[in-house]
Amino acid sequence: MKMLVYGLVTGLLFGFLLQKGRVLRYDKQLGALRLKDMTIVKFMLSSVMVGMVGIYLLTDLGLVKLSIKATILGPVMIGALVFGLGWGLLGYCPGTSVGALGEGRWDAIWGILGMIVGAGLFAEAYPLFQKTVYTWGNLGKITLPQVLGVNHWVIIIPFIVAAMLLFFWLEKKGL
Amino acid sequence: MKKQNGGWSPYLAGALSGVVGILSVWVAGQYLGASTSFVRTAGLIEQFFGPERVAKMAYFIKVAPKIDWQWMFLVGIFLGALISAITSGSFKIQAVPDMWAKRFGRHSGVMRAGAAFAGGVIAMFGARMADG
Repeated sequence: MKMLVYGLVTGLLFGFLLQKGRVLRYDKQLGALRLKDMTIVKFMLSSVMVGMVGIYLLTDLGLVKLSIKATILGPVMIGALVFGLGWGLLGYCPGTSVGALGEGRWDAIWGILGMIVGAGLFAEAYPLFQKTVYTWGNLGKITLPQVLGVNHWVIIIPFIVAAMLLFFWLEKKGL
Repeated sequence: MKKQNGGWSPYLAGALSGVVGILSVWVAGQYLGASTSFVRTAGLIEQFFGPERVAKMAYFIKVAPKIDWQWMFLVGIFLGALISAITSGSFKIQAVPDMWAKRFGRHSGVMRAGAAFAGGVIAMFGARMADG
């Protein structure tokens, strides 16, 4: 019960910020995919920058644990291509679709229904994929610092510098 | 920080959402995510028609059909966006997005519904395959 309340409160805050950032809209999502409006890229990268510093600080202090998913090249590469195709058609992603509905963009309903059907279809296909795509290129639970054999801050700090440079460039170009 | 469209700077809103993500992991041990809940919802609906079948399916054993933290997170996103939109006067009932209307016309609601539904099926299939 406590976890359900945590989920609801976290969602309230997150949904509020998504709406304030104006990233829920179809026009913004398609704008990013068409490289015409980088609002979503700014929002996502800012979130990732703050998140990665905070989470790794807490990890260093032993207060939280990372949750790393296995890198399996087959399903990640094929799944990403398929997801991108669907995202371009729908114009909302799984999390933003419910937020878009909250903002009044009720075409998101059709997307939400489609995504429930898509999840059901995937559940049907899962046993077949377990024997095929999920055996292609399994690298296990790896991270960049681990693969490169460096401390995680050696990755985080240059990442932040690169993101800041990208932001300056985007603002200069008016994107 | 206000922009012409009445919203906040995406850098500010994005950074604050990062703080929400950190607090969620710290306080509740939960990383933000959304797509797993669509699997749980599909399972809950299918359970209604054939509980025995659902109980035997490998994917619904892996991702149990239930209302959990993430499911409520999505309910929260809906409500949070609704509150933000209404209190700032940016709530707008719209069935055909502006960019879509520019290309296909204002009265292409059926086509928009079809594309959104098909896009949803395809996007979720891909997302689940990549486990994200």
